[in-house]
Amino acid sequence: MSGRSAGAGRSRAVWLLVLAVVVGSLVASEVGDQAPRTNADRVHALAGDFACPVCQGQSLGESDVPIARTIRTTIRTMVDEGRTDAEVRTMLVDRFGEDIDYTPTGRGLTGLVWVLPVLAAAAAITGVSLAVARWTSGRSGSEMDSVAGSDGAATSGNTSNRNLVLVGVAVVAVLAGVLVARTAGDRTAGDALTGDIRSSTRTLLAEAGVAAPAEADALYTRVLEIQPSNVKALAYRGWSRWRTGDRVAALVDLDDAVASDGAFADVRVFRASARHTEGDHAGAAVDLTVLDGLDAPPIVGDLLAASRLRQRIAGALASEGELLAALELLDSGLDAAERAGAGGRSERAALLAERGWLLASTRVPELVERGLAGLDEAVAVGPTDPYALAYRAVVGMAVPARTDQVAADVRAFAALEDPPADLTAALVSLGLLDG
Amino acid sequence: MKPVRRAALAVGLVLAVLVVVFATREAGQDRMTTHLVGAVAPPVAGITLEDALWDLDDQRGRWVLVNFFSTTCVPCIEEHPELVAFAEAHDGSDPAVPEVRVVSVAFDDRPSAISRFFAGHGGRWPVLPADTGRIAVDWGVVAVPESYLVTPSGHVAVKVVGGVVRDDLEGLLDRALATLAGDRTGS
Repeated sequence: MSGRSAGAGRSRAVWLLVLAVVVGSLVASEVGDQAPRTNADRVHALAGDFACPVCQGQSLGESDVPIARTIRTTIRTMVDEGRTDAEVRTMLVDRFGEDIDYTPTGRGLTGLVWVLPVLAAAAAITGVSLAVARWTSGRSGSEMDSVAGSDGAATSGNTSNRNLVLVGVAVVAVLAGVLVARTAGDRTAGDALTGDIRSSTRTLLAEAGVAAPAEADALYTRVLEIQPSNVKALAYRGWSRWRTGDRVAALVDLDDAVASDGAFADVRVFRASARHTEGDHAGAAVDLTVLDGLDAPPIVGDLLAASRLRQRIAGALASEGELLAALELLDSGLDAAERAGAGGRSERAALLAERGWLLASTRVPELVERGLAGLDEAVAVGPTDPYALAYRAVVGMAVPARTDQVAADVRAFAALEDPPADLTAALVSLGLLDG
Repeated sequence: MKPVRRAALAVGLVLAVLVVVFATREAGQDRMTTHLVGAVAPPVAGITLEDALWDLDDQRGRWVLVNFFSTTCVPCIEEHPELVAFAEAHDGSDPAVPEVRVVSVAFDDRPSAISRFFAGHGGRWPVLPADTGRIAVDWGVVAVPESYLVTPSGHVAVKVVGGVVRDDLEGLLDRALATLAGDRTGS
């Protein structure tokens, strides 16, 4: 009898220990969640709480479609304005409907997502309790038949243990049900039941794209901790560092990015710009020539055209006496513009103008003549290209037969809506334009 | 009846009710197409392609068709001639035809591409080319093209998801005019 009593005590202690461990771990996992520390963290957390309105199973944070990027930017703006999470949530639900909210309210039909898990847990507990009760009553009945009336105290002990087991199961089941119900609303597509452990690199890159430089640097670094060879993170961290003045670290990142994936177009533009600024014009020209052989997205071409980076590098090469290298760089760009078809027409005009100008600037009669021919072609391709018009007017000043054409070019230049200020100043200083 | 069977029957009944409720629930798409209709139009303001300031609030007293588009979206390209025809028919030159101002809000696009688009496809109404993300979110735009007919009082009368057709727009405008007239006469 004392042996049975000691066994029952051990069993009770084991069950209590199991119960304490289970409940303790559940509570620890719940209270262990940290609140977002920075605005970027808040944006990241909020973006993960909402579904992309046009995607299947992706959150706003995970999706890269334009509307998801736009909404993320809006969330960032609102967070930076000091709006609360509730205000952001209300705005999004108001605009795009409650269907996109991964953490629905407890109102109306959506409240069922909170209630159903608890009901399911309660039903499971009831079912288990009934099954155990039936099982134990049947077994104790047969035991009682066999040892009829011989050990009433033992029967009492078994009943006590059963009750303890039932209470333990009930407590764990209720707690698990409640916690599952809570986390069910928080989970996003693809997250584990225990919560999101690590953001995807894609999400972090998207966040970094709209973050302030310091936050962007931290986000790119987090991406590289997860995936050290991520070329996009390396390239954009390098570019971000370059723009904030950390040139040494920037060039290391850009070199690493090129080493990681030499066919990533963006990094070629970034490094060419950085090398040109550092005085390494030949290195910059190599990057752009490689870029011309890549299937770069159109925005890269737009970026190059807007910055006139190729022309600036060619001009720097020519001023160092590397005219041939400068012309090769421009020719490489002309080939790429030719392949772009009609879309590359304006770029062709700009590059032809630069080519003609560099040739004419040599003052070697034969090259000046070829330069003028190039400028004629530039004006023919792009009649409103300010550089083609201005360059041809300046070079044509030395050719008496082109006097009328010079006047026409200057008039066409003056009629342009917003010509480059440096060209206007040059034409004024030469007396071609009124100041 | 045994308690277990009674409980099972109750659970079954609850599940059946839930199935019926979910099956007859309003579909998400319906909500998307009716969103904003009847509400005050969210703000639309910005710098146009012609460098002018344009604000929906300045259009009070006029019908306005707010069109969200992108030059790279095929339905937007397809609907453009319809928009041009509608805008020309409602440019205010014919007193018998109600004037409707059209404004296009570019979504995730480049000003240079938009200029080329309008030069090539026509259309002389104001276009907001940049910084339009917040406008799109305020209007709950999910995928372009989307168009909204705004009443002279500044309320959204109609939302059209997808490319517009001129005849459909005329019909929607007629219905909105009739509704407005009914509201005014109290009928």
